[in-house]
Amino acid sequence: MEKETVCETPTQVMECALDMGETMLRCGAEILRVEDTITRICTAYGGGIVDIFTILSLIILSWKTDAGENHTLTRRINPHPTDLNKLEDLNALSRYICQKKPPCSEIQQRIRAIMAPEERRIYKSKMTGYVLLASAFTLFFGGNLRDGLAAGIVAVLMYLWDYCFASHGRNRVVYSLVISVVAGILCSLSVLIGIGQNIDKVMIGSIMLMIPGINLMNALRDMMCGDIITGILRLAEALMMAIAIAVGFGIAIMLFGGLLR
Amino acid sequence: MIGTFWETYFVMILTAAIGTIGYCLNVNIKRNKIVYGCIGGVVSTFLYCVCVEADLSLLMQNLIPATVVTLYAEVLARIVKAPATVFLIPSIIPLVPGGRLYYTMRAIVDGKGADAKTYAMETLVIALGIAVGIVGISLMFYHVSHRNIQYKVRFDQDRIGKVTSPTRSMCRFSGIFSLHESVQKSAQNETQNSSSEK
Repeated sequence: MEKETVCETPTQVMECALDMGETMLRCGAEILRVEDTITRICTAYGGGIVDIFTILSLIILSWKTDAGENHTLTRRINPHPTDLNKLEDLNALSRYICQKKPPCSEIQQRIRAIMAPEERRIYKSKMTGYVLLASAFTLFFGGNLRDGLAAGIVAVLMYLWDYCFASHGRNRVVYSLVISVVAGILCSLSVLIGIGQNIDKVMIGSIMLMIPGINLMNALRDMMCGDIITGILRLAEALMMAIAIAVGFGIAIMLFGGLLR
Repeated sequence: MIGTFWETYFVMILTAAIGTIGYCLNVNIKRNKIVYGCIGGVVSTFLYCVCVEADLSLLMQNLIPATVVTLYAEVLARIVKAPATVFLIPSIIPLVPGGRLYYTMRAIVDGKGADAKTYAMETLVIALGIAVGIVGISLMFYHVSHRNIQYKVRFDQDRIGKVTSPTRSMCRFSGIFSLHESVQKSAQNETQNSSSEK
Protein backbone atom coordinates (compact mmCIF):
# COMPACT_ATOMS: atom_id res chain seq x y z
CA MET A 1 0.00 0.00 0.00
CA GLU A 2 1.69 3.20 -1.16
CA LYS A 3 1.76 6.16 1.15
CA GLU A 4 0.08 9.29 -0.09
CA THR A 5 1.76 12.61 0.33
CA VAL A 6 -0.17 14.51 2.97
CA CYS A 7 -0.04 18.26 2.80
CA GLU A 8 -1.32 18.89 6.32
CA THR A 9 1.03 20.12 9.01
CA PRO A 10 1.49 17.79 11.99
CA THR A 11 -0.23 20.24 14.31
CA GLN A 12 -3.34 20.27 12.15
CA VAL A 13 -3.47 16.49 12.06
CA MET A 14 -3.00 16.32 15.81
CA GLU A 15 -5.76 18.87 16.32
CA CYS A 16 -8.08 16.68 14.28
CA ALA A 17 -7.05 13.53 16.12
CA LEU A 18 -7.55 15.24 19.47
CA ASP A 19 -10.94 16.57 18.37
CA MET A 20 -11.96 13.02 17.55
CA GLY A 21 -10.58 11.69 20.83
CA GLU A 22 -12.18 14.40 22.91
CA THR A 23 -15.61 14.03 21.35
CA MET A 24 -15.50 10.24 21.64
CA LEU A 25 -14.45 10.39 25.28
CA ARG A 26 -17.20 12.88 26.03
CA CYS A 27 -19.81 10.68 24.38
CA GLY A 28 -18.84 7.73 26.57
CA ALA A 29 -16.19 5.73 24.71
CA GLU A 30 -13.69 3.46 26.40
CA ILE A 31 -10.10 4.67 26.78
CA LEU A 32 -8.80 1.94 24.50
CA ARG A 33 -11.12 3.07 21.72
CA VAL A 34 -9.99 6.69 22.11
CA GLU A 35 -6.29 5.87 22.11
CA ASP A 36 -6.71 3.49 19.22
CA THR A 37 -8.53 6.11 17.15
CA ILE A 38 -5.95 8.81 17.78
CA THR A 39 -3.05 6.48 17.03
CA ARG A 40 -4.66 5.30 13.82
CA ILE A 41 -5.39 8.83 12.61
CA CYS A 42 -1.86 10.05 13.34
CA THR A 43 -0.24 7.05 11.66
CA ALA A 44 -2.59 7.29 8.69
CA TYR A 45 -1.44 10.86 8.09
CA GLY A 46 2.27 10.26 7.96
CA GLY A 47 3.51 7.54 10.25
CA GLY A 48 5.99 8.23 13.00
CA ILE A 49 5.70 7.22 16.60
CA VAL A 50 2.65 8.17 18.63
CA ASP A 51 2.75 8.36 22.42
CA ILE A 52 -0.59 8.89 24.05
CA PHE A 53 -1.88 8.99 27.58
CA THR A 54 -5.57 9.31 28.28
CA ILE A 55 -7.56 9.48 31.47
CA LEU A 56 -11.14 10.53 32.02
CA SER A 57 -10.39 14.26 32.01
CA LEU A 58 -7.18 14.64 30.01
CA ILE A 59 -5.53 13.56 26.76
CA ILE A 60 -1.79 13.98 26.25
CA LEU A 61 -0.63 13.32 22.70
CA SER A 62 3.01 13.36 21.67
CA TRP A 63 3.96 12.59 18.08
CA LYS A 64 7.37 12.06 16.57
CA THR A 65 6.85 12.42 12.84
CA ASP A 66 8.87 10.70 10.15
CA ALA A 67 10.73 13.96 9.63
CA GLY A 68 11.99 13.63 13.18
CA GLU A 69 10.04 16.51 14.70
CA ASN A 70 8.43 16.11 18.09
CA HIS A 71 5.03 17.66 18.73
CA THR A 72 2.97 17.55 21.90
CA LEU A 73 -0.58 18.71 22.55
CA THR A 74 -2.80 18.24 25.57
CA ARG A 75 -6.54 18.54 26.01
CA ARG A 76 -8.66 18.93 29.11
CA ILE A 77 -11.95 17.07 28.79
CA ASN A 78 -15.04 18.45 30.45
CA PRO A 79 -17.86 16.18 31.51
CA HIS A 80 -20.70 15.71 29.08
CA PRO A 81 -23.81 13.53 29.07
CA THR A 82 -23.34 10.16 27.40
CA ASP A 83 -24.74 9.92 23.90
CA LEU A 84 -24.35 6.57 22.20
CA ASN A 85 -25.84 7.87 18.95
CA LYS A 86 -23.00 10.35 18.52
CA LEU A 87 -20.46 7.76 19.62
CA GLU A 88 -21.59 5.49 16.82
CA ASP A 89 -21.34 8.31 14.27
CA LEU A 90 -17.84 9.17 15.50
CA ASN A 91 -16.79 5.53 15.27
CA ALA A 92 -17.96 5.42 11.66
CA LEU A 93 -16.17 8.70 10.99
CA SER A 94 -12.87 7.35 12.31
CA ARG A 95 -13.14 4.36 10.00
CA TYR A 96 -13.82 6.75 7.14
CA ILE A 97 -10.82 8.92 8.05
CA CYS A 98 -8.39 6.01 8.14
CA GLN A 99 -9.62 4.67 4.81
CA LYS A 100 -10.01 7.85 2.77
CA LYS A 101 -7.64 10.28 4.52
CA PRO A 102 -9.75 13.39 3.84
CA PRO A 103 -8.23 16.85 4.39
CA CYS A 104 -8.29 18.16 7.94
CA SER A 105 -10.86 20.86 7.21
CA GLU A 106 -13.31 18.19 6.10
CA ILE A 107 -12.73 16.16 9.28
CA GLN A 108 -13.34 19.18 11.46
CA GLN A 109 -16.47 20.02 9.51
CA ARG A 110 -17.82 16.50 9.99
CA ILE A 111 -17.02 16.48 13.71
CA ARG A 112 -18.76 19.81 14.08
CA ALA A 113 -21.78 18.43 12.24
CA ILE A 114 -21.96 15.43 14.57
CA MET A 115 -21.39 17.40 17.75
CA ALA A 116 -23.72 20.27 16.84
CA PRO A 117 -25.51 21.35 20.01
CA GLU A 118 -29.07 20.13 19.99
CA GLU A 119 -31.69 22.78 20.11
CA ARG A 120 -33.15 23.16 23.55
CA ARG A 121 -36.63 21.76 23.39
CA ILE A 122 -38.64 18.95 24.87
CA TYR A 123 -37.84 15.79 22.94
CA LYS A 124 -40.87 13.54 22.68
CA SER A 125 -38.74 10.44 22.05
CA LYS A 126 -36.67 11.01 25.17
CA MET A 127 -39.75 11.66 27.26
CA THR A 128 -41.32 8.46 25.92
CA GLY A 129 -38.12 6.67 26.88
CA TYR A 130 -38.36 7.97 30.46
CA VAL A 131 -42.01 6.95 30.77
CA LEU A 132 -41.53 3.49 29.23
CA LEU A 133 -38.47 2.76 31.35
CA ALA A 134 -40.01 3.82 34.66
CA SER A 135 -43.42 2.21 34.09
CA ALA A 136 -42.07 -1.01 32.63
CA PHE A 137 -39.61 -1.59 35.45
CA THR A 138 -42.24 -0.79 38.06
CA LEU A 139 -44.26 -3.67 36.60
CA PHE A 140 -41.08 -5.78 36.16
CA PHE A 141 -40.36 -5.66 39.89
CA GLY A 142 -43.92 -6.65 40.74
CA GLY A 143 -45.99 -3.49 40.90
CA ASN A 144 -49.55 -3.30 39.60
CA LEU A 145 -50.87 -1.13 36.77
CA ARG A 146 -51.66 1.84 39.03
CA ASP A 147 -48.07 1.83 40.26
CA GLY A 148 -46.95 1.83 36.64
CA LEU A 149 -49.15 4.84 35.94
CA ALA A 150 -47.75 6.67 38.97
CA ALA A 151 -44.17 5.89 37.89
CA GLY A 152 -44.96 7.18 34.40
CA ILE A 153 -46.25 10.48 35.78
CA VAL A 154 -43.19 10.81 38.02
CA ALA A 155 -40.98 10.08 34.98
CA VAL A 156 -42.61 12.90 32.98
CA LEU A 157 -42.07 15.33 35.86
CA MET A 158 -38.46 14.17 36.20
CA TYR A 159 -37.86 14.72 32.52
CA LEU A 160 -39.18 18.26 32.88
CA TRP A 161 -36.90 18.78 35.89
CA ASP A 162 -33.97 17.47 33.84
CA TYR A 163 -34.95 19.86 31.07
CA CYS A 164 -35.04 22.88 33.39
CA PHE A 165 -31.94 22.12 35.48
CA ALA A 166 -29.83 20.03 33.09
CA SER A 167 -26.54 18.77 34.52
CA HIS A 168 -24.17 21.14 32.81
CA GLY A 169 -22.23 21.56 36.02
CA ARG A 170 -19.13 19.60 36.86
CA ASN A 171 -20.48 17.57 39.68
CA ARG A 172 -22.81 14.84 38.52
CA VAL A 173 -22.84 13.24 41.97
CA VAL A 174 -24.47 16.26 43.58
CA TYR A 175 -26.87 16.54 40.68
CA SER A 176 -28.00 12.95 41.05
CA LEU A 177 -28.41 13.50 44.80
CA VAL A 178 -30.71 16.47 44.16
CA ILE A 179 -32.72 14.79 41.45
CA SER A 180 -33.23 11.66 43.54
CA VAL A 181 -34.53 13.74 46.47
CA VAL A 182 -36.98 15.35 44.04
CA ALA A 183 -37.93 12.00 42.52
CA GLY A 184 -38.40 10.47 45.97
CA ILE A 185 -40.69 13.32 47.03
CA LEU A 186 -42.67 13.01 43.79
CA CYS A 187 -43.07 9.25 44.28
CA SER A 188 -44.25 9.74 47.86
CA LEU A 189 -46.71 12.42 46.75
CA SER A 190 -48.08 10.20 43.97
CA VAL A 191 -48.79 7.51 46.54
CA LEU A 192 -50.24 10.01 49.05
CA ILE A 193 -52.61 11.40 46.41
CA GLY A 194 -53.68 7.85 45.69
CA ILE A 195 -52.45 7.20 42.16
CA GLY A 196 -49.94 4.55 43.11
CA GLN A 197 -50.41 1.90 45.78
CA ASN A 198 -46.99 0.43 46.56
CA ILE A 199 -44.46 3.13 47.34
CA ASP A 200 -41.52 0.73 47.01
CA LYS A 201 -42.39 -0.37 43.47
CA VAL A 202 -42.90 3.19 42.23
CA MET A 203 -39.57 4.21 43.73
CA ILE A 204 -37.74 1.25 42.19
CA GLY A 205 -39.13 2.27 38.81
CA SER A 206 -37.75 5.77 39.16
CA ILE A 207 -34.43 4.51 40.57
CA MET A 208 -33.96 2.58 37.34
CA LEU A 209 -34.11 5.92 35.48
CA MET A 210 -30.99 7.17 37.21
CA ILE A 211 -28.80 4.10 37.62
CA PRO A 212 -25.30 4.90 36.25
CA GLY A 213 -25.22 1.82 34.04
CA ILE A 214 -22.99 3.17 31.29
CA ASN A 215 -20.41 4.38 33.80
CA LEU A 216 -20.23 1.00 35.49
CA MET A 217 -19.98 -0.81 32.18
CA ASN A 218 -17.22 1.45 30.92
CA ALA A 219 -15.36 1.13 34.22
CA LEU A 220 -15.38 -2.64 33.82
CA ARG A 221 -14.29 -2.52 30.21
CA ASP A 222 -11.52 -0.02 30.93
CA MET A 223 -10.08 -2.04 33.78
CA MET A 224 -10.23 -5.15 31.67
CA CYS A 225 -8.20 -3.52 28.90
CA GLY A 226 -5.51 -2.43 31.36
CA ASP A 227 -6.55 1.21 31.89
CA ILE A 228 -6.76 0.82 35.62
CA ILE A 229 -6.63 4.53 36.45
CA THR A 230 -9.62 5.46 34.34
CA GLY A 231 -11.43 2.34 35.42
CA ILE A 232 -11.04 3.34 39.06
CA LEU A 233 -12.10 6.92 38.32
CA ARG A 234 -15.22 5.74 36.54
CA LEU A 235 -15.99 3.12 39.16
CA ALA A 236 -15.63 5.70 41.93
CA GLU A 237 -17.96 8.07 40.11
CA ALA A 238 -20.52 5.33 39.49
CA LEU A 239 -20.43 4.14 43.10
CA MET A 240 -20.73 7.69 44.41
CA MET A 241 -23.70 8.25 42.12
CA ALA A 242 -25.32 5.03 43.34
CA ILE A 243 -24.78 6.11 46.95
CA ALA A 244 -26.11 9.59 46.16
CA ILE A 245 -29.25 8.05 44.64
CA ALA A 246 -29.76 5.86 47.71
CA VAL A 247 -29.22 8.80 50.07
CA GLY A 248 -31.55 11.02 48.04
CA PHE A 249 -34.40 8.51 48.14
CA GLY A 250 -33.60 7.90 51.81
CA ILE A 251 -34.08 11.60 52.55
CA ALA A 252 -37.41 11.57 50.75
CA ILE A 253 -38.56 8.51 52.70
CA MET A 254 -37.51 10.13 55.97
CA LEU A 255 -39.52 13.23 55.07
CA PHE A 256 -42.66 11.25 54.23
CA GLY A 257 -41.94 8.10 56.20
CA GLY A 258 -44.56 8.63 58.90
CA LEU A 259 -47.34 9.20 56.40
CA LEU A 260 -46.78 6.08 54.35
CA ARG A 261 -46.72 3.35 56.93
CA MET B 1 -44.64 -27.09 32.67
CA ILE B 2 -43.87 -24.65 29.89
CA GLY B 3 -47.36 -23.25 30.29
CA THR B 4 -46.86 -22.44 33.95
CA PHE B 5 -43.43 -20.96 33.14
CA TRP B 6 -45.00 -18.56 30.64
CA GLU B 7 -47.80 -17.69 33.05
CA THR B 8 -45.34 -16.85 35.80
CA TYR B 9 -42.79 -14.92 33.81
CA PHE B 10 -44.70 -13.51 30.83
CA VAL B 11 -45.20 -10.12 32.49
CA MET B 12 -41.52 -9.89 33.44
CA ILE B 13 -40.30 -10.63 29.92
CA LEU B 14 -42.79 -8.29 28.30
CA THR B 15 -42.01 -5.41 30.65
CA ALA B 16 -38.28 -6.05 30.26
CA ALA B 17 -38.69 -5.64 26.49
CA ILE B 18 -40.63 -2.38 26.89
CA GLY B 19 -38.24 -1.06 29.54
CA THR B 20 -35.26 -1.84 27.31
CA ILE B 21 -36.82 0.14 24.47
CA GLY B 22 -37.32 2.99 26.94
CA TYR B 23 -33.69 2.84 27.99
CA CYS B 24 -32.54 2.86 24.35
CA LEU B 25 -34.56 6.01 23.71
CA ASN B 26 -33.17 7.48 26.92
CA VAL B 27 -29.49 7.13 26.01
CA ASN B 28 -30.24 8.05 22.40
CA ILE B 29 -29.34 4.88 20.53
CA LYS B 30 -29.96 4.97 16.79
CA ARG B 31 -33.52 4.02 15.86
CA ASN B 32 -32.50 1.09 13.63
CA LYS B 33 -30.43 -0.45 16.46
CA ILE B 34 -33.08 -0.32 19.17
CA VAL B 35 -34.46 -3.69 18.08
CA TYR B 36 -31.11 -5.40 18.80
CA GLY B 37 -31.03 -3.97 22.31
CA CYS B 38 -34.62 -5.08 22.83
CA ILE B 39 -33.81 -8.64 21.73
CA GLY B 40 -30.83 -8.64 24.11
CA GLY B 41 -33.04 -7.50 27.00
CA VAL B 42 -35.58 -10.24 26.29
CA VAL B 43 -32.84 -12.88 26.05
CA SER B 44 -31.25 -11.86 29.33
CA THR B 45 -34.59 -11.77 31.15
CA PHE B 46 -35.63 -15.12 29.69
CA LEU B 47 -32.36 -16.74 30.77
CA TYR B 48 -32.65 -15.15 34.20
CA CYS B 49 -36.14 -16.62 34.57
CA VAL B 50 -34.91 -20.04 33.44
CA CYS B 51 -32.07 -19.90 35.96
CA VAL B 52 -34.47 -18.88 38.74
CA GLU B 53 -36.74 -21.76 37.80
CA ALA B 54 -33.77 -24.17 37.75
CA ASP B 55 -33.03 -23.03 41.32
CA LEU B 56 -29.46 -21.90 40.68
CA SER B 57 -27.59 -19.69 43.13
CA LEU B 58 -27.97 -15.90 43.05
CA LEU B 59 -24.55 -15.51 41.46
CA MET B 60 -25.28 -17.94 38.64
CA GLN B 61 -28.72 -16.42 38.04
CA ASN B 62 -26.98 -13.26 36.89
CA LEU B 63 -23.69 -14.64 35.60
CA ILE B 64 -25.21 -16.90 32.95
CA PRO B 65 -27.48 -14.27 31.34
CA ALA B 66 -24.68 -11.69 31.46
CA THR B 67 -22.27 -14.08 29.74
CA VAL B 68 -24.70 -15.00 26.98
CA VAL B 69 -25.74 -11.41 26.37
CA THR B 70 -22.14 -10.20 26.21
CA LEU B 71 -21.39 -12.88 23.63
CA TYR B 72 -24.43 -11.70 21.67
CA ALA B 73 -23.38 -8.03 21.87
CA GLU B 74 -19.75 -8.63 20.88
CA VAL B 75 -20.70 -10.81 17.90
CA LEU B 76 -23.34 -8.33 16.81
CA ALA B 77 -20.87 -5.45 17.11
CA ARG B 78 -18.63 -7.17 14.59
CA ILE B 79 -21.50 -7.86 12.21
CA VAL B 80 -23.26 -4.49 12.38
CA LYS B 81 -20.01 -2.51 12.89
CA ALA B 82 -20.97 -0.45 15.91
CA PRO B 83 -19.44 -0.28 19.41
CA ALA B 84 -20.40 -3.30 21.51
CA THR B 85 -21.56 -0.93 24.26
CA VAL B 86 -24.53 0.07 22.13
CA PHE B 87 -25.94 -3.46 22.34
CA LEU B 88 -24.53 -4.50 25.69
CA ILE B 89 -25.93 -1.79 27.96
CA PRO B 90 -29.62 -2.15 27.03
CA SER B 91 -29.30 -5.94 27.27
CA ILE B 92 -27.87 -5.81 30.78
CA ILE B 93 -30.39 -3.30 32.15
CA PRO B 94 -33.04 -5.86 33.25
CA LEU B 95 -30.41 -7.59 35.41
CA VAL B 96 -29.37 -4.43 37.26
CA PRO B 97 -30.20 -4.79 40.96
CA GLY B 98 -32.31 -1.62 41.25
CA GLY B 99 -34.81 -3.34 43.51
CA ARG B 100 -32.15 -4.67 45.89
CA LEU B 101 -30.55 -1.21 46.04
CA TYR B 102 -33.87 0.28 47.09
CA TYR B 103 -34.56 -2.35 49.75
CA THR B 104 -31.03 -1.93 51.14
CA MET B 105 -31.59 1.78 51.52
CA ARG B 106 -35.07 1.27 52.93
CA ALA B 107 -33.75 -1.14 55.57
CA ILE B 108 -31.03 1.34 56.56
CA VAL B 109 -33.57 4.16 56.87
CA ASP B 110 -35.85 1.95 58.96
CA GLY B 111 -32.96 0.97 61.20
CA LYS B 112 -33.06 -2.76 60.41
CA GLY B 113 -29.36 -3.55 60.39
CA ALA B 114 -29.58 -7.27 59.71
CA ASP B 115 -31.91 -6.83 56.72
CA ALA B 116 -29.72 -4.07 55.32
CA LYS B 117 -26.70 -6.36 55.51
CA THR B 118 -28.48 -9.17 53.67
CA TYR B 119 -29.77 -6.90 50.92
CA ALA B 120 -26.40 -5.17 50.51
CA MET B 121 -24.69 -8.54 50.20
CA GLU B 122 -27.22 -9.63 47.58
CA THR B 123 -26.73 -6.40 45.63
CA LEU B 124 -22.99 -6.94 45.63
CA VAL B 125 -23.29 -10.58 44.59
CA ILE B 126 -25.56 -9.66 41.68
CA ALA B 127 -23.19 -6.89 40.59
CA LEU B 128 -20.28 -9.32 40.83
CA GLY B 129 -22.10 -11.90 38.73
CA ILE B 130 -22.85 -9.39 36.00
CA ALA B 131 -19.30 -8.02 36.08
CA VAL B 132 -17.68 -11.44 35.85
CA GLY B 133 -19.95 -12.41 32.98
CA ILE B 134 -19.14 -9.27 31.00
CA VAL B 135 -15.41 -9.28 31.69
CA GLY B 136 -14.91 -12.97 30.92
CA ILE B 137 -16.38 -12.81 27.43
CA SER B 138 -15.14 -9.32 26.52
CA LEU B 139 -11.61 -10.27 27.51
CA MET B 140 -11.69 -13.13 25.05
CA PHE B 141 -12.88 -10.88 22.23
CA TYR B 142 -10.39 -8.19 23.22
CA HIS B 143 -7.45 -10.55 22.97
CA VAL B 144 -8.58 -11.94 19.62
CA SER B 145 -9.19 -8.59 17.96
CA HIS B 146 -6.23 -6.68 19.42
CA ARG B 147 -3.42 -9.21 19.28
CA ASN B 148 -1.63 -7.46 16.41
CA ILE B 149 -1.63 -3.94 17.74
CA GLN B 150 1.75 -2.72 18.88
CA TYR B 151 1.74 0.80 20.18
CA LYS B 152 5.30 1.06 21.43
CA VAL B 153 7.88 -0.70 19.34
CA ARG B 154 10.57 1.90 19.61
CA PHE B 155 13.19 -0.27 21.21
CA ASP B 156 12.56 -3.79 20.06
CA GLN B 157 13.35 -3.59 16.39
CA ASP B 158 14.51 -7.22 16.44
CA ARG B 159 10.92 -8.31 16.71
CA ILE B 160 9.60 -6.01 13.99
CA GLY B 161 10.60 -8.34 11.19
CA LYS B 162 8.52 -11.07 12.76
CA VAL B 163 5.28 -9.10 13.06
CA THR B 164 2.50 -11.37 11.89
CA SER B 165 0.34 -10.16 9.06
CA PRO B 166 -2.66 -8.17 10.29
CA THR B 167 -5.87 -10.13 10.64
CA ARG B 168 -8.74 -9.59 8.29
CA SER B 169 -10.57 -7.42 10.75
CA MET B 170 -7.54 -5.15 10.93
CA CYS B 171 -7.36 -4.69 7.17
CA ARG B 172 -10.26 -2.28 7.30
CA PHE B 173 -7.87 0.24 8.76
CA SER B 174 -5.21 1.09 6.26
CA GLY B 175 -3.36 2.86 9.07
CA ILE B 176 -2.08 -0.38 10.51
CA PHE B 177 0.05 -1.05 7.44
CA SER B 178 1.73 2.30 7.48
CA LEU B 179 2.26 1.84 11.21
CA HIS B 180 4.55 -1.13 10.67
CA GLU B 181 6.38 0.52 7.77
CA SER B 182 6.99 3.74 9.61
CA VAL B 183 8.00 1.92 12.74
CA GLN B 184 10.63 -0.01 10.86
CA LYS B 185 11.92 3.15 9.23
CA SER B 186 12.11 5.15 12.44
CA ALA B 187 13.75 2.25 14.23
CA GLN B 188 16.45 2.22 11.58
CA ASN B 189 16.85 5.97 11.88
CA GLU B 190 17.28 5.69 15.59
CA THR B 191 19.94 3.02 15.38
CA GLN B 192 21.82 5.15 12.85
CA ASN B 193 21.59 8.18 15.07
CA SER B 194 22.79 6.35 18.15
CA SER B 195 25.69 4.76 16.28
CA SER B 196 26.79 8.09 14.82
CA GLU B 197 26.73 9.63 18.28
CA LYS B 198 29.09 6.98 19.56
